[in-house]
Amino acid sequence: MVYHSILDILKLCKDTNLSFWEVILQADMESRKVTREESYHTMESMYTAMRQADQNYDKNLRSSSGMSGGDGEKMRAFNESGKNLCSDFTALAMEKALKMAESNACMRRIVAAPTAGSCGVIPAVFLSYEDMFESTRDEIVHALFIAAGIGAVIAENASIAGAFGGCQAEIGSASAMAAAGLVYLQGGDENQMVQAASLALKNMLGLACDPVGGLVEVPCIKRNVAGTVNAISSAQLAMAGIQSAISPDDVIDSMYRIGNIMPYALKETSEGGLATSESARKLCQKKTGE
Amino acid sequence: MAIFDIIGPVMVGPSSSHTAGACRIGYIARKLLGEDPKEIRANLYGSFLTTGTGHGTDRAIVAGLLGMKPDDMRIPRSIEIAKERGVKVLFGEAKLKEAHPNSVQLTLTGNSGNTMELIGQSIGGGRINIAEIDGIATNFSGEYPTLIVNNEDKPGLVAQVASMLSNQGVNVATMQLYRNQRDGMAVMVLECDQQIPRSGIEKLRASEGVTKVTYLNPEDEK
Repeated sequence: MVYHSILDILKLCKDTNLSFWEVILQADMESRKVTREESYHTMESMYTAMRQADQNYDKNLRSSSGMSGGDGEKMRAFNESGKNLCSDFTALAMEKALKMAESNACMRRIVAAPTAGSCGVIPAVFLSYEDMFESTRDEIVHALFIAAGIGAVIAENASIAGAFGGCQAEIGSASAMAAAGLVYLQGGDENQMVQAASLALKNMLGLACDPVGGLVEVPCIKRNVAGTVNAISSAQLAMAGIQSAISPDDVIDSMYRIGNIMPYALKETSEGGLATSESARKLCQKKTGE
Repeated sequence: MAIFDIIGPVMVGPSSSHTAGACRIGYIARKLLGEDPKEIRANLYGSFLTTGTGHGTDRAIVAGLLGMKPDDMRIPRSIEIAKERGVKVLFGEAKLKEAHPNSVQLTLTGNSGNTMELIGQSIGGGRINIAEIDGIATNFSGEYPTLIVNNEDKPGLVAQVASMLSNQGVNVATMQLYRNQRDGMAVMVLECDQQIPRSGIEKLRASEGVTKVTYLNPEDEK
């Protein structure tokens, strides 16, 4: 079972009468020559590692640059006050996205999904879903397979590396992956899953990768929140039956073409955008002055 | 790309190239050295040099050299751990010409006195390339069972290695040959699909013209 596009996956689902996640699982079994149990167990262990990383968040940790840490706790306290206008689920997801991305900046153990810089989005959506709604561990693992399938197509036809495609390739990909998985958890069908992924990715097209000091901190950490909320809203659009006017594979191809013409200065080189702002210069000075 | 390169790997942050890849370079370097290092000199280059501290590149390299994998939670404390174990660690700036932006030049001395100098590159997503060993250019990832044979540059040595692998039923995935000068010293790097039994490696070590055999088995790192 081999796929090279979103359309391939949908066709395989139809031809084999297997669900989306099952197609991704079987393709993995074939390509790596592993058993069903091995593939399933590996994905489950990724989820366990995400859960542990979330639980290991330490509000007192600061990154060695001094730029990051503590915002996840601020979000938690604000959510606790009941003032967050978002639903309890979305509020929790925002908090978890910050916590995971901050943990990453502070050299904690995380799961790259698809990258370390975008590691907050997928766990934020899936862990929060498991916490807030009655979903089984199996359903969450299925959702992760779906997310991985979307990510694999993006990696093949565009890129998941900021150095090649800018932040659209990292947070954009993570957001599309999470959106598709969330639709599955909400009971949507295959078409709705890929619509959610398209809608989420479209919203992130063109996003620059311009990190301050070359570090995975500013703007990466807070952008994990943007990717999370975008995934949730895109999934809701898809669940409402709203379609993306551009097909999923065309959106991915567009991301690839945008990445190709994106200036070098905005591809993780820290030679443009936020990285060369006056505020960034001051932050970097402060860092080296210590 | 495999789906567990998309969801995964589990790693200590913040960067797959600057932290996980750096750790892996150290880990593979230790395996190539064949023993625990007692002295580490790590000269950083390019982006490793300019953003390495913020990414924990220095700590990740040392962690790998101490035998830690990219998901080891002790990575942030590796330099202290090295100190506790009596391992001398020095950092500096590598003077390389047009090297990969994420490169490190390692000069290692092992507990029993083995020495090795190598250049490792972190090429993205936590994957690496070993670009030079003891002054001779190489090009391998450390993801396959890898055989490195240093030998005198004379006829018949490639055939000897090939026949040993054939006798052991080992298939060669990639093979590269390098030498510093004609009739000088040469090195073969063979990435294989199967593990090479110890007996085959010992036989090669005893062969005339072979000065050093290094075998990297990636299996036990998982």
